[in-house]
Parts: sequence; C-alpha cells; structure tokens
Amino acid sequence: MNTFEFWGDNFPQMLAGMGVSLQLTLGALVMGIPLGLLLALGVSSKLRLLRWVCLALVEVGRGAPALVVLYVVYYGLPVLKLSPEAMTCAYIGLTYTTCAYTSEYIRGGLKSVSPGSIEAAHALAMPGLDVLRFIIIPQGLRVAIPSLMGFAIQIFQATSLTYSITVREVTAVSYSVASQTFRALEIFTLAGIMYAIITIPASWLTNKVEQRLTLRH
Amino acid sequence: MTETIAETQTETVPKGRYSGKVDIGLKTPKYLVELAQVSKHFGSNHVLKGVSLRVKPGEVCSIIGPSGAGKSTLLRCINLLETPDSGNMVVAGQYVDLGKPQDRRALLSLRRNVGMVFQSFNLFPHLTVMDNIALPQRRVLKRTEAEAKEHGMELLERVGLADKADSYPAKISGGQQQRVAIARALALEPKAMLFDEPTSALDPELAQEVLTVMKEVASSGMTMLVVTHEMNFARNVGDHLVVMEDGAIIEEGDPEQIMSDPAQERTRQFLAAVINH
Ligand SMILES: Nc1ncnc2c1ncn2[C@@H]1O[C@H](COP(=O)(O)OP(=O)(O)OP(=O)(O)O)[C@@H](O)[C@H]1O
Ligand SMILES: [Mg+2]
Repeated sequence: MNTFEFWGDNFPQMLAGMGVSLQLTLGALVMGIPLGLLLALGVSSKLRLLRWVCLALVEVGRGAPALVVLYVVYYGLPVLKLSPEAMTCAYIGLTYTTCAYTSEYIRGGLKSVSPGSIEAAHALAMPGLDVLRFIIIPQGLRVAIPSLMGFAIQIFQATSLTYSITVREVTAVSYSVASQTFRALEIFTLAGIMYAIITIPASWLTNKVEQRLTLRH
Repeated sequence: MTETIAETQTETVPKGRYSGKVDIGLKTPKYLVELAQVSKHFGSNHVLKGVSLRVKPGEVCSIIGPSGAGKSTLLRCINLLETPDSGNMVVAGQYVDLGKPQDRRALLSLRRNVGMVFQSFNLFPHLTVMDNIALPQRRVLKRTEAEAKEHGMELLERVGLADKADSYPAKISGGQQQRVAIARALALEPKAMLFDEPTSALDPELAQEVLTVMKEVASSGMTMLVVTHEMNFARNVGDHLVVMEDGAIIEEGDPEQIMSDPAQERTRQFLAAVINH
C-alpha cells in the first residue's frame, strides 16, 4: 500500500477527528469570547474585589499552559464528585484558556476607543450601560477582531492537546493509526496537511481583515 | 434655597455684573441657564473661581478668552461632564446643587436638555451618519427606528447633508462631521446648546459652513453658549459676550460695545491679539 492509498484508507476517520477538532475550536470560541468580554469588563471595573478576581482568573488562565489546564479539569472535576466526559472537560479547559487570552485582546480594544466618542455619548444623555453597549463594546471588539482571529487559529491548534485527555480529535486518531500500522511519519504528515489546509487560509483571511480594518480608520 | 454661598462673596464680584445668586422663584424663568459661583479645581489648580453667568432663553452667549482661562471647563460643568466643587445652577428649569453628588436621573435629565458640540466633532466612528443621529434618539427619547430616521433625515436636510446619510464619519470632511454633530445634538430637541470651539479644528472654508449652520440654529431661537475665537460670529450673531481669564469672567456685556470699547485692559490686549492673528 503506497502512502496515498494509506491516506485514502484512513481519511474517513481522520476527517471525523478533524470534525471533533473543529467542534472543540468553535465551542471554545463561542463560549470563551463572551466570557472574555465579561472578564475584560471585570478587569476594567471600579469595584476592587471584582477587578482582582477577574485579574486572577485572567493571569492564571494565561500563565498556565493549556495542557495543564486540561489536566486540572480532567483530574479535578472527579475530585468534586463530578464525572464529566472527556469532551466536556476539553470544552471547559479550552474555554477557560480562550476567555483568559481573549479578555486581554478585548481589553486592549476597549482601551483604544476614542474618549471623545464616549464623552459625546454621555453628553447626549445616554445611560452608562447604553454607552458601553452601543459605543464602547462595538468599537473595542472591532479593534480586537484581528487578534481574536489570530487566537482562533492558535486555539484550533491547541485542540490537539485534548488527545492527552482521551478526546478522539485528529491528533489522537493519528496516534492510534500510527500505533496500529507503524506508519507514524505518513499519518502525522497527513494530520499536518489537514491542519494547514485550515490554518493557512485562516491566517490569510486574518491579514485581509486586519488590512481592511486599518484602512477604514 | 436662594441662600447660596454667593451671598457671602458678592463683594468679590466687580460692580455692575450679576452677583451670582440663582433665582429659582420665577414661574416663567427669565434665564434658561443660570450659574452661580461655580468653582472647580483640578488638583491644586483653581480653574473656575466662582463663575456666575445668566443666559436668557434664545440668547447666543459667546465666551472668549485666552487659552487656559477655563472656558471649556465652564461649558463642561454645565452638562456635568466635569464635576464642579461648589456652586449651583438652574438649567432649563432644573436646579442643581453643584456641591453634591448628582443622582443618575437628575444627571440624565439635565443632559437631555443640553446639547453639546465639541472641537473634535466626536462622532461615533463605527456608525453611519444617519445612525449617529438615530441612535441617541432611540435610546434617550425612545423613538422608534423609523421615527428616529425620519427626524434624522429632516435634520440632515437642515444642515445640508441629506446625501451623506449612509457615509461613515471618516469618509466626510471635518466641516461635514461637525454639521452632523450639530444635527445629532439637535435631534434630542435640547433647550440649550453648548459649543466648545466648534470651528477651531477646521480650515476657514469648512469653518464657514459650520458657522452658517450655527447661525441658522441661533435664528431658530436656540439658546446657545459658544466658546469661540470667531470674532465675527461673536459680534454679528452673538447677543452677549463674556470674556474670561484665569478662571473668572473679567468682562461681559454687549458684544459690539466690548469689542469697540473694552472696559478692561486685559480684554483690549486679548482682542488685539485675536484680531491681528
Ligand atoms: N482634565 C483636566 N485635568 C487637569 N487639568 C485640567 C483638565 N482640563 C483642564 N485642565 C486645566 O484647567 C485649566 C483650564 O482649562 P480649559 O480647558 O477650561 O481652558 P480653555 O479656556 O478652554 O483653554 P483653551 O482655549 O486652550 O481651550 C487649564 O490650566 C488646564 O490645564
Ligand atoms: Mg478649551
């Protein structure tokens, strides 16, 4: 069996593994970015306790490697008498890492919002929450979009770490194929190509979006 | 309530000028904006040293004076973008004791009555011209989207920018941005408008189109407080002229009178500097 036949034979299960990887990425982003926004607001809060709690969550989430976070969730939840599935642990761990990182990008975006437009909104008698919702958050998020897209690529790659907590994503599939067939180089090459097919256009898109956003202002 | 700090300090106010006592007893207020002994520090810097001022309904009050005199701070105290240390004021019938923390409802109702136009336009860059004007109407006046846009279109026509409704602020000139900012403030139907050097960031031709709009707003009966270096506007459109220096009003009265024959030497020097400029 030549390499291409080998790849062809294993492609269906590799594709299923890639499906899991993408699902984890999407889940981590969909849950993590809104939480990241809340953390960013918390870190910018005037309430000291809230600020400290949020800052601690962010710093720990950014300081600890994603793999360590996954292990803590995977081995920690059973200690609390919970026995979630590996997939649930993966969602929780990756979401935490995502919200910690994205909160910093979003906070940077919020800080870049021109004070003049905020002041104008206040002068127009808009209530504080409206100013946040209609003026500060939309402008701040827009600024953060390129870094959030860059982060999305990184977290997509980081989903491969969930293999270590028994999630059947594409790296785990490759690993089991390799151990059964002893054709590790070929199968991991296929995995690499599959990752690249997603990350390369995504990086290209990120650059395009970044250019467009900088042109607008 | 007329017992204000002003009473003990009337001696510091030069003769012939308003003594700084808010008059809230009148059913039909004679003044739309009344400030009494407004004082403000930035740290140890005493920026407003008990400023008192009265503006009648429909009056255009121009405020001039050298840089650092406290003109912007004074305007920003009127809509409480800055928090004064002490003093009191009545704005469109609402009494405000400036020494106290303001409650949220009072703050918002004050700002609803007072529009502000900034030197740097301060449009919302992520919204189209129309949405800049429609958003505050929807959120503050609870107008529907359709009402807000209809009203917005009327205002854009009034400032001559109906064709720019769908443009983003970055795509139009500074003068056009400032006219949109005026329309945006007018959309909330304020009782008074504050202008802080609305043309200072603009080339002369663009400044002119903004001044034309301001003149039209003035002739519609709007009460206006205008910090400006445009002496022609102050002379021809303004009803009242206030000269500030070093946190205080040093002279005020009829613009024509002050410009041709200022009572204060400092005013004379300032006018000479501005006019020769
Ligand atoms: N946010 C602030 N923090 C500290 N000091 C301030 C602040 N805003 C203004 N000041 C100071 O208050 C004084 C009055 O400033 P203000 O901006 O009111 O003057 P102005 O008359 O508007 O001057 P200009 O013609 O330059 O706009 C200045 O000394 C200024 O440095
Ligand atoms: Mg100023």
